Amino acid sequence: MKVVALITVLMTGALLVYGIEEMPEWGDPNSPASTHVSPKYIQEALGKTATPNMVTAVLADYRSYDTMGETVVVFTAAIGCVLMLRKKRKGEKGEGD
Amino acid sequence: MLEYVLSKYNFWTYAILLIIGLYAMVGKKNLVKKLIGMNIFQSAVILFYISIGVKKGGATVPIFLGDAHAAHGHEIIIDAAHYFIPLPHVLMLTAIVVSVATTGVALAVLILIYKRYKTLEMDEIMKIRQDTGA
Repeated sequence: MKVVALITVLMTGALLVYGIEEMPEWGDPNSPASTHVSPKYIQEALGKTATPNMVTAVLADYRSYDTMGETVVVFTAAIGCVLMLRKKRKGEKGEGD
Repeated sequence: MLEYVLSKYNFWTYAILLIIGLYAMVGKKNLVKKLIGMNIFQSAVILFYISIGVKKGGATVPIFLGDAHAAHGHEIIIDAAHYFIPLPHVLMLTAIVVSVATTGVALAVLILIYKRYKTLEMDEIMKIRQDTGA
């Protein structure tokens, strides 16, 4: 069992190491990530959203629906935890008592 | 060989972290250790994305330090080379929140499992389930 897990993990690691070869250098200003869409966000965020912090501008303006969905995720997790961990009332049937 | 590893040492670090997390998720029998492995895995992914956003050559955090109110409505030329990429930071903010939520729910499930089976070892739980036929 442990041997199978180790072999699987090592194969995954070999794939990752194979992928490292294609990655850009640390902090390369001409890497694909910093030349594709990110200059547009950096240049336009202040003028379009009047927010000096670009992370906030993207989080709460460009991706505000995403952030709203994220609050739904946290709310669902909180509801789930409360429903699982609450004390059962007398006469109520349920797991773990 | 060592030079090749050191030239992209950040990616090697994340690959090793990811392997450790994956092994803990697959190979360990204790459910809490599996959960810790999942958190290590998530940390590796988060660090990977953050390192994508780094730019060398005088770049700094993506916050405009001038007078933002005066700048509003006017055309201000911002050089993209002066700021880190904000997009990975935003996405990883979301990912951290989701990882906290999943960890919380998983810990609650573990408490329920412990209350029912009085153990968190995977093989013992499977044995109890086979013995009772449930």
